[in-house]
Amino acid sequence: MMRRVAVMAALLVSICLSPNAQAQPQQVVNVFNWNDYIDPYMVQRFVRETGIRVRYDIYDSLETLEGRMSAGRTGYDIVVPTSEPTFSRLARAGAFRPLDRSLIPNLANIDPALQQQVASADPENRFGALYLYGTIGLGINVDRVRALAPDAPMDSLRLLLDPANARRLRACGIVMMDSAADVIPMVLRYLGKDPNSTAPEDLRDVERTLMTIRPFIRAFSSGGVIEALAGGQFCMAFAYSGDVIQAAARAEEANRGVTIQYVAPKEGAQLWFDLLAIPADAPNPEAAHAFINFLLQPDVMANITNHVRYPNGVPASRPLVAAEVANDPSVFPTDEMRARFFTIGAVPQAAERARNRVWARFKAGR
Amino acid sequence: MKGRLGRALVLALPWSWMALFFVVPFVIVLTIAFAEPSEGLPPYTPLWRWTEEGGPIIQLNLANFRLFLEDPFYLEAGLRSLRVAAVSATLCLLVGYPMALAIARAPERWRTLLLMLVILPFWTSFLLRITAWIGILQDQGWLNGALLALGVIQEPLQLLYTDIALYLGVTYCYLPFMVLPLYATLSKLDPALLEAAEDLGARPSRAFLQVTLPLSMPGVVAGFLLVFIPAVGEFVIPELLGGPDAQLVGRVLWMEFFQNRDWPLASALAVVLLLLLVAPIAIFQARAAREAA
Amino acid sequence: MSSTAAEQPKSPVAARPGAAEPWRDPAADPFLRIEGVTKRFEGYVALDAVTLPIYRGELFALLGASGSGKSTLLRCLAGFIEPDAGRIVLDGQDLAGVPPYERPINMMFQSYALFPHMTVAQNIGFGLRQEGASKSVIADRVAEMLALVRMEGFGGRKPAALSGGQKARVALARALAKRPKLLLLDEPLSALDKNLREATQFELVNIQERTGTTFVIVTHDQEEAMTMATRLAVMDRGTLAQVGTPGEVYEFPNSRFTAEFLGTANILEGVVEAADDQATRIGSSELDFDILAEPGALKPVGSRAYVAIRPERMRIERTDAATPLGDNRLVGRVRDIAYFGDFFMYYVVLDNGKEIRVSQPNLRRMTARPVDWEDRVAVTWDAEASMVLPE
Repeated sequence: MMRRVAVMAALLVSICLSPNAQAQPQQVVNVFNWNDYIDPYMVQRFVRETGIRVRYDIYDSLETLEGRMSAGRTGYDIVVPTSEPTFSRLARAGAFRPLDRSLIPNLANIDPALQQQVASADPENRFGALYLYGTIGLGINVDRVRALAPDAPMDSLRLLLDPANARRLRACGIVMMDSAADVIPMVLRYLGKDPNSTAPEDLRDVERTLMTIRPFIRAFSSGGVIEALAGGQFCMAFAYSGDVIQAAARAEEANRGVTIQYVAPKEGAQLWFDLLAIPADAPNPEAAHAFINFLLQPDVMANITNHVRYPNGVPASRPLVAAEVANDPSVFPTDEMRARFFTIGAVPQAAERARNRVWARFKAGR
Repeated sequence: MKGRLGRALVLALPWSWMALFFVVPFVIVLTIAFAEPSEGLPPYTPLWRWTEEGGPIIQLNLANFRLFLEDPFYLEAGLRSLRVAAVSATLCLLVGYPMALAIARAPERWRTLLLMLVILPFWTSFLLRITAWIGILQDQGWLNGALLALGVIQEPLQLLYTDIALYLGVTYCYLPFMVLPLYATLSKLDPALLEAAEDLGARPSRAFLQVTLPLSMPGVVAGFLLVFIPAVGEFVIPELLGGPDAQLVGRVLWMEFFQNRDWPLASALAVVLLLLLVAPIAIFQARAAREAA
Repeated sequence: MSSTAAEQPKSPVAARPGAAEPWRDPAADPFLRIEGVTKRFEGYVALDAVTLPIYRGELFALLGASGSGKSTLLRCLAGFIEPDAGRIVLDGQDLAGVPPYERPINMMFQSYALFPHMTVAQNIGFGLRQEGASKSVIADRVAEMLALVRMEGFGGRKPAALSGGQKARVALARALAKRPKLLLLDEPLSALDKNLREATQFELVNIQERTGTTFVIVTHDQEEAMTMATRLAVMDRGTLAQVGTPGEVYEFPNSRFTAEFLGTANILEGVVEAADDQATRIGSSELDFDILAEPGALKPVGSRAYVAIRPERMRIERTDAATPLGDNRLVGRVRDIAYFGDFFMYYVVLDNGKEIRVSQPNLRRMTARPVDWEDRVAVTWDAEASMVLPE
């Protein structure tokens, strides 16, 4: 924690004292990114190398981002929405400015196969540059889960969605990410259904499954679970892969006997992509392009992956990533694991309301 | 002539303030409430458009308001919010009344200090105070720690993310809104009235019930409304302290706005909520005016 | 004239014709006994061992300046203040430790303290309601009380809709509704204007006589005390300066304080030179003249004495510069004349600078004043007007 504070302080100082001896008006880039989703030193480096000041702001849910984007005139130059459903919807609504490829030569660094994969949300990769990607799964406090549920499978969603297991883990604390869009497709997949299904009976099954474990869930989290997992307040989290892996690293650092592990469930884990994009009304599009181009350098991406433990879309960064991260299959999954990943698409608004209603009832427990 | 202009200006100022900061936003919200959601920026259809002949067509979509009547979800959230607000306001009253009474009856030189102590927490950030409660109430928090150390309990009580925490948080945050109007009425109460009641044979408890309490009713009502109204729409405290089953109107509004991106429905909900809350104030005002007449 | 009056031949008549004067009867049992009551507040003594018997049916006035202790004594009687020492016995019951709500005493408050949220009838019935009296009993008594204070038809009004005089009547009715043994009145009429106050004074006395209730009234208004009270006590710094009927205290003040507090008095200072059965002669120590008083002054020859003379007992006439001082005759210059309508008050400056006040009734309409500004005047009075103060 102290290290983080120091880093943030360093970042702030660097922003304030950015090298700008020139007489020309100072350029600024306003970044709106997920919390815990960048290496602060890289921001510092960007400021040093380009002389462009960075105003950095964070959000903890796609809803927040989308709400502000929908209202327009956010004043941000860079946003980082997830490909589905947010990015695709905002792209269709005309919320983004097409990327000027001539200003981002480093776009060529992105893995074409991955670019192809996100093209379903962003046809011809017109608006977005792949930043990081990851999966959704379980974060577990290995020792405590073992102690309470020794016979439960550690690689399966049954660890959470089977009420017999959840009941036992109740004592050490289960936290669920507060996101219908992320959890419901996982549960559909767990039940052997199409993760994009909007069929009412499928949703009923999802609700029934979730309700059986509802009494054992202590909290719903929207701000990430890193501290709570690392601090031992919860022993089981339904969360984004990188958050869990960051929590694991932090727990190790704290050395208080807490071991956290990320599990991409064998039933299937939702694969998601976060794209760098420029709002249509961005005040500083030039600086925004420069920022994207800066991030897509292999060494910068390697540092970011080292810090946030999410894989990036720049293959050339892989050799520069720290060995313990590069070789961690929960960060860079094996091909065998990859086969079990799935992606989701957008659902109609009516279906989304039905999903959110299921979610609301689930949270309410009735 | 000059005087009339001056008076008009003096009157115009509060009215334009009202118009600018209440009427205009309300009308904007109201127009969105009658629109239909659509994919776009902003994510709703315009209320009126031009026909080919050049005349305007206004489309009013009443489906949002109908939905509130048809779908029990909104009614339940509303009722639950009312219940939370009513319980919180009652708790504030039960805690705040003795405080206000004690301050009003304290020696003159202590009163300013005591009132300061009531207001003092307001000088720190609201979020900070709520976060402090998280630190107190969580499983490894101070309260559980103290109870465990004293041997009162064997394992931590779950306090955070429960209704207890929710009520505690709301009561704590809104207490000054109860204490201040109560103090204002109670300190204006002529002490001779209580002496007269006692002199006429009323024990202190009966004197309180028959004289102090009825005469402090304006303060009770004002304090109750000051707590109740913001508590109905309270979003932050239930989110941070309340249990996940706390589906309150504030949360539903947030959900419709952000999760479902249904701005028209969210606006309609806000309009209905506002009207429901303005009604009791209007009734209270009318009653007070009638009594004064 | 009763035998007690004979012992004090110059005693004025009783406060009210026909009223008994139990305080003159050593065998009479006081209804209210205040015995050695002392109350200290931070830094000063509010009541200093006050002993005062009050008899059944009296209208007793406690008169004094603010801070004299009269209100403290009244609040001790009501039970709002517990005395530090001494006891209060009402009709044989020691009131020590009895809370206000259990005392058979009611009070009419200075501000009236009517409950603003209750109607007049509810205010009057409040005390009976506390006793758990039945609705019909309360209704009857309220009607009776409204009739007593001539407020029939006002029962449904709120106090805010009443005039000052009406509020005073309701306050009185409320205090009398429980038929208390003792009624305390704290400056009851101070909020009323002069005419209404005078009318209400008589009404209060009237009601007191009709109900037979014992009244103790606190006032700073000497006229009010004089006109209403059977007896009064002049209080000074927590003690009783003098107790007596209004006439006794006015005509026989026992000190400079009471002489000057109750009414107006010119105080002269001297030494008793002769006291025989013809007269008491006091040589002025201020001017070269003698003061003659009636025989039987309480002071022995050679002692210092103060003599008080009321302005209305003095005569004033124009004179010339040669007129000398004489027995009961002072000479001076008219500095000021105050016109009160019913009388004139002359401010006469003596040669030594001392000022004497002389009042003369305004007997004839529109006649020239016999004495005018700056006139040289002689002021004279009879021996019986000289009140030799015992202290």
